Amino acid sequence: MKYLKNIIFCSAMAASLLTSCNKSDLKDLNINPQALNTIDLNFLFTAAQLGAASGGSAGDNRYIDWRTNIGMASTAIQQLGTTGGISNTGDKYQDNFETSSAPFEFIYGDQLKDIGEILKQSGPGGFAEGKNPNLRQAARILRAFLFQRLTDYYGSVPYFETMKAGEGIFFPKYDKQKLIYADLLKELEEATAAFGAPDPADGFASADLYYKGDITKWKKWGYSLMLRAAMRISNVDAATANTYVAKALAGGVFTANSDNVLVPMAEAPSLWTNQNGISRAFIPGDGGEPSFLSRTLVDFLKGPNTGSITDDDPRLMILTGGIGVWTPTSWTPTISDPTKQKGLPNGKDQTMLEVIEGVTPLDLNATYSKINPLLLDRSEPYMLMNYGEVEILLAEAAQRSIGGLTPAVAKAHYDDGVKASMQMYTIYDASFAVADTKVTTYLTTYPYNVTKPALEMIGDQYWVNHFLNWWEAWSNWRRTGFPVLVPTNYPGNVTDGKIPQRLKYPNAEVGGNPNFSGASANDYVTKLWWAGGPE
Amino acid sequence: MNQPLYVVDGVPIDNTNFGQAGVWGGADQGDGMSSINPDDIASMTVLKGAGAAALYGSRAANGVILITTKKGTVRNGLGIEVNSNYVFETVQNLTDFQLTHGNGGYDGATPQTSVAITPKSIETHWNNWWGLQSWGPKFDGSPTVQFDGVTRPYSYAGDNWKRFYEIGHTLTNSIALSGGSEAQNFRLSAAQLDNTGVAPNTKFSRSNISLATNSKFGKKLSVNSKVMYSNEKTKGRPNVSDSPGNEFLALMYLPGDVNVLNLLGDPNKPGAVPSLEQQQQQGIKVFDGKQPGEEFQVSNNLWTQNPYWAAHQQRNEDVRDRVIATGNARYDITSFLYISGQAGMDWFTKRGTLLTPQGTGHNRGGSMSEYEYRTREINFQYMLGFNKTYNGKFGVNAFFGGNRMRRTNEYISANGSGFNTPFFAAITNARDKNYDYNYGKQGINSIFGSVEFSYNNYLFLTGTARKDWFSVLNPEDNSIVYPSIGASFVFTEALKAFPGWLSYGKLRAGWAQVGNVNSVSPYQTTLLYGAGSTHVGQPLGGFSSGSNFPNPNLKPFTSTEFEFGMEARFFNDRLGFDVTYYDQKTTDDILNANISRASGFTTTTVNLGKLTNKGIEVLLTGKPIQGGVNWDVSLNFSKNNSKVISLIEGQTEVIGEEPRTRTVFIKSIVGQPFGVITGQTQLRDPASGLLVYDANGTPVGDGSYKIIGNGVPDFTGGLNNSFTWKQLNLSFLIDFKSGGDIYSGTNVRMTQAGFTKQTLLGREGEAPLTVTGVIADGAGYKPFTKTLAPGEAQNYWGQLGNRAAEKFIYDASFIKLRQVTLAYNLPKRIFSKTPIQNVMLSLVARNLFILYKNVDNIDPESSYTSSNSQGLDYFGMPATRTYGFNLRATF
Repeated sequence: MKYLKNIIFCSAMAASLLTSCNKSDLKDLNINPQALNTIDLNFLFTAAQLGAASGGSAGDNRYIDWRTNIGMASTAIQQLGTTGGISNTGDKYQDNFETSSAPFEFIYGDQLKDIGEILKQSGPGGFAEGKNPNLRQAARILRAFLFQRLTDYYGSVPYFETMKAGEGIFFPKYDKQKLIYADLLKELEEATAAFGAPDPADGFASADLYYKGDITKWKKWGYSLMLRAAMRISNVDAATANTYVAKALAGGVFTANSDNVLVPMAEAPSLWTNQNGISRAFIPGDGGEPSFLSRTLVDFLKGPNTGSITDDDPRLMILTGGIGVWTPTSWTPTISDPTKQKGLPNGKDQTMLEVIEGVTPLDLNATYSKINPLLLDRSEPYMLMNYGEVEILLAEAAQRSIGGLTPAVAKAHYDDGVKASMQMYTIYDASFAVADTKVTTYLTTYPYNVTKPALEMIGDQYWVNHFLNWWEAWSNWRRTGFPVLVPTNYPGNVTDGKIPQRLKYPNAEVGGNPNFSGASANDYVTKLWWAGGPE
Repeated sequence: MNQPLYVVDGVPIDNTNFGQAGVWGGADQGDGMSSINPDDIASMTVLKGAGAAALYGSRAANGVILITTKKGTVRNGLGIEVNSNYVFETVQNLTDFQLTHGNGGYDGATPQTSVAITPKSIETHWNNWWGLQSWGPKFDGSPTVQFDGVTRPYSYAGDNWKRFYEIGHTLTNSIALSGGSEAQNFRLSAAQLDNTGVAPNTKFSRSNISLATNSKFGKKLSVNSKVMYSNEKTKGRPNVSDSPGNEFLALMYLPGDVNVLNLLGDPNKPGAVPSLEQQQQQGIKVFDGKQPGEEFQVSNNLWTQNPYWAAHQQRNEDVRDRVIATGNARYDITSFLYISGQAGMDWFTKRGTLLTPQGTGHNRGGSMSEYEYRTREINFQYMLGFNKTYNGKFGVNAFFGGNRMRRTNEYISANGSGFNTPFFAAITNARDKNYDYNYGKQGINSIFGSVEFSYNNYLFLTGTARKDWFSVLNPEDNSIVYPSIGASFVFTEALKAFPGWLSYGKLRAGWAQVGNVNSVSPYQTTLLYGAGSTHVGQPLGGFSSGSNFPNPNLKPFTSTEFEFGMEARFFNDRLGFDVTYYDQKTTDDILNANISRASGFTTTTVNLGKLTNKGIEVLLTGKPIQGGVNWDVSLNFSKNNSKVISLIEGQTEVIGEEPRTRTVFIKSIVGQPFGVITGQTQLRDPASGLLVYDANGTPVGDGSYKIIGNGVPDFTGGLNNSFTWKQLNLSFLIDFKSGGDIYSGTNVRMTQAGFTKQTLLGREGEAPLTVTGVIADGAGYKPFTKTLAPGEAQNYWGQLGNRAAEKFIYDASFIKLRQVTLAYNLPKRIFSKTPIQNVMLSLVARNLFILYKNVDNIDPESSYTSSNSQGLDYFGMPATRTYGFNLRATF
């Protein structure tokens, strides 16, 4: 019996060993030794800033720009032309799920997610409540920039209920573009006003990829975005536009190319995180997307006298590197003569081009101008917004007497905008410097409000000023109708021969978000609210 | 997700799947069961339903596969068992594509005037991106310029499957030694398997060694131990689903006039651009500027690869070393009381290499990864048991015990992209390097107990209970208790008043509950952060759960099952049946639900309302002929009806998987069976119900997702016939499935590119394509009929999959001749003078024929992943047939 007692005792011991310390033992097991409970919000901000340039922080910087900026916008607004590739979508008005879904998936799922967390944790009840006040305002400005992009592609999008998974909102409601714009303008006004003095200890200066913590520049960007947003709605809500253009002017917008918002890029450590996604999409052997300029753009840059360089836009041989062969190892221009540059007409395939050119077989590389590879280094900075745009917007505001400006100052703003636009390319290559005299020559060759009506010239310049930023060129064309583009009508296009007006929503929203009924038209042709379409 | 738990000799073993193909492709990276030497298995028992959970814990909620391995035998001298098996495997081409039109496209200013042409210049081929298009005119033998600039006749080039795929071989040899006494015995076995697959350059080999010992010390203490070691080498795991690395997709996309052998390129580096010298000799022109040694592609589509490049140059290989060790001791305190303890460990490493070589179309710089997984699971269990029969009639069998499970997973990888010395694929040669590290640890603590009363061996009553504590849940609420009760009654034993033709009869009923957290991995309940990468020197912050939103309120789910069954045999067991009816209710099932991107996240883990499963399983057995020839027949049949009762609060739908076409979703919808297939269907005029077309004759989509099918079958079953005559046995198994649907992404793509036979409709010289329905007319619709011009027809077929998902949903019913076996036991007299005791020869053929199916071009069982996406097809592995020869000898 003594034996038996021992055994019972032992098994009781074993039982207690196995089961008594359940709670603390198991609790310790569920602590992840590789993760943090709280994080320096600066780190999330840097990630959001990088993400705003081709989604680098999402680890696939080639996706969003390739699919949408290049795939849809670049060819739809006829700055590039192609016979194939993803950019065939915009070139020939085809349906492509990924082109349509990419901004929705990336902007919400990457940048806005990081910003949402910054605002939550630096706000009431957050683990960094009250800390990083300037970072918080900068995050609000970046948020407004990103949300404007989203609504500019889709119309109604989830806005007020987004980034609330923590409150159990997994399927946010859709909000109308009009309401989103009203709130974006309010946000920009509040955020620019709420900046305080720089605090060297808060880490903002080193985290801020754009301005190194320069509060003055952040305010300028905030007011410049306010100007952009106000002008975007100026055709449909003149009163609000008027109010906010005036506020933007009072607050102070960009005044020089040194104010431009540039996201620095790097070759390393990761191809997928640190490099410029636009460059990667085009680089042969990387994305390898065709990089031919559109005939519309080349003709615009060459001016009516195609045999002479005297009426050329100085940007012609900046935007194109000429006609030539681009391989993974080298760029070999075969025709660098500006007068011989030729764009690829939009909406055509190989056979159609052979008919147009009267050459069979037609070697595209020997026929059409390509984007200048000097704009497409892997570590090229990614430009989010520039000073030229601001002056061109002010020219329009002045021409239309918005925000207290008068037509008398329109020309000055226009000239400054053109000049800034021509002179901003030195960040890509020192050889891209454009002398003031060349700018003057251009402005006298094409005098404001003489060559064409003022608003059309303004629209043309806004368009040419946004090479690479085709997102924005497309949006402004949709609002103003400038430049006047001739739509193509390739067999099988899905828009009935019309240039697309918006993107379709991701199928995951159509099929998965029970609140999708609040979305706006899910097609390519219905105009957005600010372009005169339904609210 | 609904995997059963594998238990080997009482110890759960890991059956983690290392990754599946998803929407974006990938390869099946294998799971845990492949490590076991089948010749070590003495018996395999399937324990269905929740009843098994008391002993094996929550992970047994989906049933248990109980594997008992062979033990030492008590015998004189040494027992030897030798088994040799050889199998060859051939690929089954199930496609029925048009073979009359090849590479080309439509040319013309409008769809009405377009005509089909085949490229007459390399520029037309490449600049129009026609390399993967089968929209050319009818074969006429005229010269056409192919992807490599070589002019070849425009005619059918023959069967590329036969050229590309090989005959697979598998040779397995095993030997086992056993012997010993009552007090001490052992079994030692070794096995070697070598396989080459049907796809070029695929190999698998496995070596096993295992040792089992059983010892008895005196009458009361017995100690058993077992160690199993396995080494598995896999080379060339094929990619499926999306195009990167998917040689099957690449092969399918080759137009009929292209001979796959022309894609071989450099003979010393299959799939690569040949040397300049070879290019000159063969008149090859490389249009896309690729250099010798880089991938030899057929089109500008960088993602669709040269199949030889995918097979020979891409690498996806791994080696897994695994040790499963168990030991248990049992001490019989008295004749009716015992205690036992058991420890088991399953420990393995999986060391792999992934290479996308330099020169690959979509990744020209190339990238590689050297990685290792380490997993260790340790279970300790103790039990105190009582087993006694009173008066020879009334029995009590009871035990209680505890179990402690700890599991650690670690993953470390060195990754690189770009290579300093060109084409030298070594991680140390990579230009940009980084590493990855993952760690997870989890545990379950349990106590359990069971009591069984029996009376006279015909009445049994059982009750069990178990409590589990899970580390992966919020500590505030991380445990669950689940009981079960059951009864069975052998009425033919109890009441002797039955007629003689009823030889056996039993009724059983049970009610059981089980709690589970199955798919929850460690650290999934709190939102955590990390900063694992940098940009221009600044840390990039992020969420350690990635795009999954952690749910702190997760709780274990409960599944409650009621089961009733009856088993009866008649006429001296010549005829029998076994019928089971079950009614299972799952509440708070745990699921990774897709959520709106606008929430910031893509998925969240949620407790999902309530699901019910009701079904019936029937097994009929018969011995129609007994005597000289024995004929045994068995038919099994099962039917399950599932229904979603409720989901997340406020939601009536939750979306799941989607295939690469991104046109359909698997959804759970309240009131519907679990996992219906939904898609955007063609719009219908609400008034007349007629289909809506646009002016080009193309379908108009209705812009919302509707239920178009259900991947779950109405019923499934199998019919096995076995004939034995003397030493000869012939058996064949027919499997069948009725109902259930499959959405074929393969057919969507093959239709868009002009490969399927239906795309002949509307081409020049073929039957016309006429659509009849309605077209928009102001706010309403008007009748519309149109015969489409060939260019319009091409457009129709191109858009069909995007706008009318219902056109690609097929009935997935089938009848298959699954297996035929012919076995012969050599008469003992032949070797009566030798130590040989038994020799058996057998021939086995598997997947011989599909006797009936309703889906074109694919196997109705086709899938690209084994996750919860039944009913989706997208360029999964091609089906194969196998023929085997087996020799088993015991000494």
